Amino acid sequence: MRDLKYLQYFEDLLQQADNALVEQAKADGKICVAYTCENVPEPLLNLDRAVSIRLSAPNTGSIDIATYYMTNLLCEPSRALLERAIEGGFNFADCVITPDGCTMMNRCVENMELLQTMGKENPNFFHEYMEIAFKNTESDIDLSVLQCTNHVLKPLAEKYGIDTSDAAIRKAVEEHNRVCRVIRAISEFRKEEKPRITGYEFHVLCLATYVCPKYLIIDKLEETLEEIRTREPDDKKWRARVLVVGSETDDSGFIKLIEEQGAYVCCDRFCFGSYPGRVPIELNDEEDALRQVCRHYIRNCHCPRMMSMDKVYGRKQYVADLAKEYRADGVIYNQVKFCDPWAYERTLGSSMLHTDYGYPVLSVDRPYNVASSVGQLRTRVQAFVESVEIKKLQGGGKA
Amino acid sequence: MKTVETIINPKKRVGEESPGKIYSDKLKVRARREWRGVKDTFYDYTRWLYLLSVLGRFIMVPRNVKGFLRYRWMMSYLFVPHGMDKFTIGLRDEALRIAHTSFNFVIADVTQAIANCFRGDRRVGNDTEYSDKCVITDENSMVTFMMGFDKDKVHTILREVPTMFASNIFHQFNVMHYLDVAQEYGISGDVCPMPEAEAGISIDDDFCVLGCCAVQNNTTCDGSLMGNGIIAKRLEREYGIPTFQLATPLRHKEPDVLEYAATEIKKAIAFVEEHTGEKWDWDRYFAAAKRVNYATKCRIAQMEINSTPYPQFFGAAFSLYNDTNYMGNSGRDPQFVKIDRKLLELAEQGYKAKRMYAKEYRHRAIIWGVQPQYVIDQLYWLLQCWGIVPLTDMLSVINTDMIVDEDTPENREQAYRDMAMLNMEMIMRNHTHGGYKVLLDDLWELCEQMNADLVMMWEHMSCKALTGMHGMFEEQGRARGIHVMWVSHDLCDPRVFTRQAIRDQVNKYMRTVFREEPLDPSLEIIPDNEAY
Repeated sequence: MRDLKYLQYFEDLLQQADNALVEQAKADGKICVAYTCENVPEPLLNLDRAVSIRLSAPNTGSIDIATYYMTNLLCEPSRALLERAIEGGFNFADCVITPDGCTMMNRCVENMELLQTMGKENPNFFHEYMEIAFKNTESDIDLSVLQCTNHVLKPLAEKYGIDTSDAAIRKAVEEHNRVCRVIRAISEFRKEEKPRITGYEFHVLCLATYVCPKYLIIDKLEETLEEIRTREPDDKKWRARVLVVGSETDDSGFIKLIEEQGAYVCCDRFCFGSYPGRVPIELNDEEDALRQVCRHYIRNCHCPRMMSMDKVYGRKQYVADLAKEYRADGVIYNQVKFCDPWAYERTLGSSMLHTDYGYPVLSVDRPYNVASSVGQLRTRVQAFVESVEIKKLQGGGKA
Repeated sequence: MKTVETIINPKKRVGEESPGKIYSDKLKVRARREWRGVKDTFYDYTRWLYLLSVLGRFIMVPRNVKGFLRYRWMMSYLFVPHGMDKFTIGLRDEALRIAHTSFNFVIADVTQAIANCFRGDRRVGNDTEYSDKCVITDENSMVTFMMGFDKDKVHTILREVPTMFASNIFHQFNVMHYLDVAQEYGISGDVCPMPEAEAGISIDDDFCVLGCCAVQNNTTCDGSLMGNGIIAKRLEREYGIPTFQLATPLRHKEPDVLEYAATEIKKAIAFVEEHTGEKWDWDRYFAAAKRVNYATKCRIAQMEINSTPYPQFFGAAFSLYNDTNYMGNSGRDPQFVKIDRKLLELAEQGYKAKRMYAKEYRHRAIIWGVQPQYVIDQLYWLLQCWGIVPLTDMLSVINTDMIVDEDTPENREQAYRDMAMLNMEMIMRNHTHGGYKVLLDDLWELCEQMNADLVMMWEHMSCKALTGMHGMFEEQGRARGIHVMWVSHDLCDPRVFTRQAIRDQVNKYMRTVFREEPLDPSLEIIPDNEAY
């Protein structure tokens, strides 16, 4: 296929957390709200002059200093973020808001705070930690509203004078939805027999919406959508269509590696992905916007931290539904090494997707920086693709 | 660096001078029991006989024999008498009596828990009437939500305690099989082995199957929360036992989580009422609340005694008794009151007599982090081998606030918040979760309060909440002049760190940093790596 006009542009933006657009937003007088987890309602970090930047540490190399602080037993993303913070890679941030979602990411941010890695020159700089919901009930929504009020809205208003009114939230949701709709529209092309966008390209575009100020990329995303509408797909026949499920996947190299083995990544369900992170938020006029946003995040949350059994079973059903919708031949459950929640979720998910839903499943753990373990991962994916092909030859993709 | 004055014990120890001699590299148990002089040996022996009688009475029941033969983890039952000796190394006088009083009671309690499990177990006793009034809870679960139920009508079954927690204490290799099962199923080897072993027991279908419902909790960590899903799936889908997930906020020091936590307690109570058909009784609750407060007072008093130069109640017995009382009992059983009272009397008596339990007290240590199950005697060993007095361990540093214990309309609402607070501040998670202050700042305050010059930091290698602050412990300890001695382990998997490998970390630190020689060289290397 012909290269997308802005692919290189977006790829370049993903090379560092403090990218050109983050710098531009700072120059525009924006307040950069750094966050670390999908459980923080993103539109609330984009109110008024605030822009959200999800922290990532692309091209991670040595994480020795963070390993001293957190040992080599914590997951690599948490150590990579701390290392990057110590190196000064997140100095653009005006505050950090993190939920006490998983222990490791929480410890990562706490170390950032104790080491004063950011905000030395900014008297208004703050760290906030949120309790997040565990279940899908009205009292969980109450909790979420209270937490967002106390740990997001109040500090943003008090420290930076951000408008946190209902109207401001509705405006932020509309801007958020505009991005989501573009990503969802692009995602639809992944359902085609001959897709006119690769999984890798899609991931690059989607990832950019997390790590760049949205207002600076929306026009290029919309232009890209129009470009894809008229793009001629390759005649290339993919060996298999796979759905990738897992935790932090902010390294597009992982998707590229899978596709290099002939497996088309037709759908994603991971942090930094389009499901559930880029599902538009539908608001009505009757209820206050904050509560509706919180409800959306709880109802659509598929983080393993959600502990009620409707969520435990629901997560697998969600994956099965996506696999069906996007006509996946198989599912790849991946987990970053040393991640406790996904160590269990990957196990139960890969077991249930296979036994209860009949999908071939590859269950794999991986390093944060995929480039450090290309050979092993490639072998695992190759073997999986072959097994899916054999199953198809024997009369159907699903087991 | 901070130093404390060495206290020399003016009295010569009666009996065995070097307890290290009673270990054998040819046996899986000790070559013989410790000689403590006529009086204490006689006392020790009578308590040992009492223990045998508890176990004997248990095995006289036919269904318990059936259960013994059915469940692999019951192997540990055979090693309980040997295991009890781990809690009394080198102890004499009041400390010996405290260890026996507290831990014999814990053993009797766990034995009863096994008997209860077997009674209702569909595979063993299959007493369906009994089982229909049983509520299964996690091993690491506060049972505050059961405080208002009649314990003779609604039975709280902490089935993971005898199956995993206690069995690993008495038989170090007992959970390895379940860890292997879990890892063969696909769970990573780097998660905390305790919930992993519990998930493995469920996968291996080696839990007793009983109860009308189950209440799970997200104490203590991500692994514990996640392991519950695997266990609940089997309970619900295979055995038809409905489960309720009692969500417990992590940031327990923040006032804005309390109402949510209290609501969850209400829901848990309603769930139990619905499935057992029994009603919550406020009289019963407030009576239990009084007992919780009494236990809190006693624990505070014990900590005060341990802050003096003559600590009396310490080591694993202190920790496990607190575990059982605070968490597994939560004021429901009046018997604990008598034990609390007796333990405090013994401790006060020992303190007045300035009783010491080693030749010298060289260092005063706070034990922070999570202890390994299979080296449960390490704190006694520290005292006997190196003269390090374990003032308290992290798991025993729990709630010191009183809860409301008078029945008024206002207090009933407050009671939910009290239960929620106790639940959130459950053992271990009250320090490992809730922000770095409860992990770091609380430790340094405790060092100050208890005049400690040393922190022995259990580095449970799979406990991310603790290891995630490794560097901060180092830096802050150095800044305060407190020695931080790291001792790594893998909680309940002796294949990763053997017992001697764990002790050697202390040996090396004491020789190289403090440049000290052991008080009792016979204990420096003990041939117990293969022992139960």
